[in-house]
Amino acid sequence: MSVIWVHEDAITLDHPIFQLAGPDAQPIFIWDTQEHDRRRYSLKRRVFIYECAHDLDIPIYAGNSAEILSTIADGDSIFAAGSPDPDIRQVLADLRENQKVITVDAPRLAQIPPNTDTRRFFRFWNRARKSALTPSFETLMNTTQGS
Amino acid sequence: MVSLLDRVTLEKMRLRALPRLAVCDRQALVRRVRELSPGLPESDTAISNIKGERNQAQGHLAKLNPAKYGSTRNHLDGAVTRLSPFIRHGVMNVTELRDQALEQSDAKSAEKFIQQLAWREYWQRLYQEYPQRIWQDVEPYKTGFAPGDYQDELPIDIAEGRTGVACLDGFIHELLTTGYLHNHARLYLAGYICHWRRVKWQAGAAWFLTHLLDGDPASNNLSWQWAASTFSHKPYYFNLDNVAKFSGDNVDTRIETNQALAGTYEALYARLFPKLEPKS
Repeated sequence: MSVIWVHEDAITLDHPIFQLAGPDAQPIFIWDTQEHDRRRYSLKRRVFIYECAHDLDIPIYAGNSAEILSTIADGDSIFAAGSPDPDIRQVLADLRENQKVITVDAPRLAQIPPNTDTRRFFRFWNRARKSALTPSFETLMNTTQGS
Repeated sequence: MVSLLDRVTLEKMRLRALPRLAVCDRQALVRRVRELSPGLPESDTAISNIKGERNQAQGHLAKLNPAKYGSTRNHLDGAVTRLSPFIRHGVMNVTELRDQALEQSDAKSAEKFIQQLAWREYWQRLYQEYPQRIWQDVEPYKTGFAPGDYQDELPIDIAEGRTGVACLDGFIHELLTTGYLHNHARLYLAGYICHWRRVKWQAGAAWFLTHLLDGDPASNNLSWQWAASTFSHKPYYFNLDNVAKFSGDNVDTRIETNQALAGTYEALYARLFPKLEPKS
């Protein structure tokens, strides 16, 4: 069964990965206590994260993320929202050795040219400002018209 | 890679999802989290009044006033959104917030709000491109001190909110009990920890990540580096007048209970950064 890993950087059912995965893929959240311990999350952080996952009404499993994903997917595809978090990326990279793993990033606020100087925020902002202040539907229309 | 033997073991475990809890039963949910977290110290008992539910986030979003946000956001009682925990965990996406802001206001009025969303995107891009920068100094300190001059560990009086600086102890209490702090209060604590107490920014950043519901390694750590001066041109510091200016009536900003912060910027600069050229 294809699985959508709802990890802690994207606790949502409203993400482009769901369109890509299709209606038959099963979204799951994994409660990885060891990872929370390693990150030294306080009780209130853990409660907030559990509440966000519980609010989605999807199965929540407890244990090691890679093991659970691998077992449930059982050779089928694993889908996940893209994340810059090195630990999440590592889990997905390890799974990719044996299974098909597909990630999609959430929509960006701003479009910036490649090689933009990002050493300071305002250099980034000067290039990002115009697209950041444009509503999503206008960006989408411009993209569609240009394609 | 999962070996065949591991595979068989896992299947024997007959993997099952955790039983679903009744909606709205927060006490049961807290018990569940406790049971799943045997390593948490008994003394860690605080639960935030911010609930991780999308309808809570939508309630905050409904109150969004981008123009008012722009004019009051630096004040501790300003019209901030309190949506950051939901953004951190992807419950809401920044484009959704941007679109809502532009529906309510023209681009000019919404610009400050959207610029703050862009800060998050900026940190996230840097995190993806340079993950190693998250815990390492991006640049040298511009304080006249070397990294070795800073303490590695967070002093216990700071961790427990017993610094003797009333306004900061109040902010620490808020952090420990609610898991949320206004951005300006975060800056005050970061400036104090790095420059008054000369503690490595990493110790403060790790402490924030333990407690802040919106604790995100990119936004949090790179902001700490901004305050410390390892990702900015100069160190961030402040004085008591500044705290009084931006605080509401709930913050104790009396001189007698906040003496460490009292003084002019020039005098504090000379005291905190004695190896730098005096400020004229």
